[in-house]
Amino acid sequence: MHVLIVEDDLPLSEAIATAMRERGWRVDVSERGEPVPGSLLKDDYDVLVLDIGLPGIDGLETLRRVREQGSMLPVLMLTARDAVADRVRGLECGADDYLVKPFALSELLARLSAQVRRHDLRRSEVLILSALRFDAAARRAQVAGQPVHLSARECIVLQYLMLKTGCIVARDQLAALVPGWNAGRSDNALELLISRLRAKIEPAGVRLRTIRGLGYLLEPDSPA
Amino acid sequence: MSGAQPADTGRAPSLRRVLLVWLLLPMALLVPFTAALIYALALRPALDGLDRALTDTAVALAQIVEVHGDRATLPLSAQTARALQADPVDQVFFAVGDAQGQLLGGLPALLQLGTVLPRGHWRFFEATLAGQPVRVAVHAVGCGLATTQVCTILVAETLGKRQAAQQAVLLAAVAGALLLALPTLALAWLAVSRGMAPLRRAATDVGSRAPHQLAPIDTRAIPGEVVPFVQALNTLFGRLRDAATAQQAFIADAAHQLRTPLAVLRVEAEQALATPHPSALRPVLMRLHAAAERGARLAQQLLVLARAESSATDPACLAKPVDLAQLARDSAPHWLPPSLRAGQDLGFDLAPAWVMGDALLLSELLGNLIHNAIEHAGRGARITVRTGVLDSGALLSVVDDGPGLTDAEHAVVWQRFRRGQAARGTGSGLGLAIVQDIARLHGAHAALGSGDGGRGLRVSVTFPGLVHSPGGAPVAIG
Repeated sequence: MHVLIVEDDLPLSEAIATAMRERGWRVDVSERGEPVPGSLLKDDYDVLVLDIGLPGIDGLETLRRVREQGSMLPVLMLTARDAVADRVRGLECGADDYLVKPFALSELLARLSAQVRRHDLRRSEVLILSALRFDAAARRAQVAGQPVHLSARECIVLQYLMLKTGCIVARDQLAALVPGWNAGRSDNALELLISRLRAKIEPAGVRLRTIRGLGYLLEPDSPA
Repeated sequence: MSGAQPADTGRAPSLRRVLLVWLLLPMALLVPFTAALIYALALRPALDGLDRALTDTAVALAQIVEVHGDRATLPLSAQTARALQADPVDQVFFAVGDAQGQLLGGLPALLQLGTVLPRGHWRFFEATLAGQPVRVAVHAVGCGLATTQVCTILVAETLGKRQAAQQAVLLAAVAGALLLALPTLALAWLAVSRGMAPLRRAATDVGSRAPHQLAPIDTRAIPGEVVPFVQALNTLFGRLRDAATAQQAFIADAAHQLRTPLAVLRVEAEQALATPHPSALRPVLMRLHAAAERGARLAQQLLVLARAESSATDPACLAKPVDLAQLARDSAPHWLPPSLRAGQDLGFDLAPAWVMGDALLLSELLGNLIHNAIEHAGRGARITVRTGVLDSGALLSVVDDGPGLTDAEHAVVWQRFRRGQAARGTGSGLGLAIVQDIARLHGAHAALGSGDGGRGLRVSVTFPGLVHSPGGAPVAIG
């Protein structure tokens, strides 16, 4: 994975970069926002970590320029101010996620991985999570290379969960996907479907969690 | 502010007392003076009238005197004499003497008091007759052809009518003066009360304020004389406001400045734990990591406290509709990982619950409740976040089935920097104090109870009043 970190606090960018390199990621660091649009054209990055408070043009302006040149790169904003307005403006400017300092390293890495995974999944025909492969077009699933039979409904639900890896998916959202199910009435049927699906895919090193009262969460077994 | 009443001793006298004293002192001098003046002015005519009555008797006697050549006589019958002396109150005496000083009639002792006056003249004087004080009128009338021939007529009467007149006039004078003085004092008393009423209202207004309400006092209803004082008070309020704002800005700024170094500390500690290291270092790294986590949380909480304080002085921050259920949904991704690490089952039971407030503060309130539950409920605990609407208002609660709190802990957990005895982990001791601060700010009430089935801990926050969702649709009762 190739990451560009734009952060003016050197100790912080150094700490993050070191942690990422330890995990085998390729990392570049910039202290200012101005050169970022050019760097993105030259190098093929997978994700951009962008601090809002930068000297010169700030993170939001940098992001605006990046989006202006048509880049769809996943962007995670860092902010030292947790004003809701910052978050809203960040998301409006086209950020995919944001984190408030001081964040946990594991949370930063997990969110970046999730962003990249989602980005890749949207582009590819085949969805991959740990040892789980799902070919959406052919509706074929493999766990550790072994084919697994999925019903039509399970395919619909799994595809959606994989596209939303790392996100909580509301029950109603899932139920609405399945033809003939209406929200509210199908709770038991959905729960049954999920537990069958769970049994089939969890051997692939993924976790399909039930978040009581909210919905379901698909994630790799041990977050990166 | 109870118990802050200044002791009576050493307090400046009340305005009413000062005013009354300054009125009473001149009154004490003015009332006798006025009474004396009225007395003097009114008594003279009364006494003059009585004197004139005496002269009437003298004139009547003068008509009775007959002159034959050089001799004058007083042919006075006993009947006439009685008529002349008739008086319901006083004894009347008379004496008539001729030019040679011989008594022509009447009381000889009275004639002794007479003085020689030119013809036609009058005089009045006081004297004592037969041991009684009397008023005497002396009249010199001609009694012969020569102008030097003058008869003296004296009429005297005791002082009964005069004394009665004096008493009546004195009474009238004193009554008149007091009639003026007493209502004046009473009116002054009333005027002070009425004049002070706007001040008392202003004082009640200021007295009933919450500590953070530092808005200036409205000077329009304040009497002009007191306006400078109230303005000085308003200036003081202004300075307090500025000081509070500066302090909040400082705390917020300090917390912001702390964020980046704390982020470095957190990342480095986490990275150090993830990198191969000598096993002897592990406890050190664990403690370092825990301290970094705790510092991060403390900085966040200080920031929130500063924001809560500034919201208190600016109520507009608290007037936006917020759905507690949505807040809880938004917070879920943040709190799921730590609860999963603790092997806990963090669940949600959410019905729409709209309140008016500050979304960031309310989400901090919820975050503190969930964080507390994760920290204190223990491994494997079941934690549930509930939102909904009761008949009285919106409700937010976090329930766990952990060890709960002892009675002693119940009493102290709301205080800042106090933690339950079994407290461990990354709590700063600010959590529930912040919950209470934010709840109060929103007019809400935070309470502790036991969890479902009497086990564990339930912290619930009740928001009074029903708020409709921004769409205007009435909110479902949860």
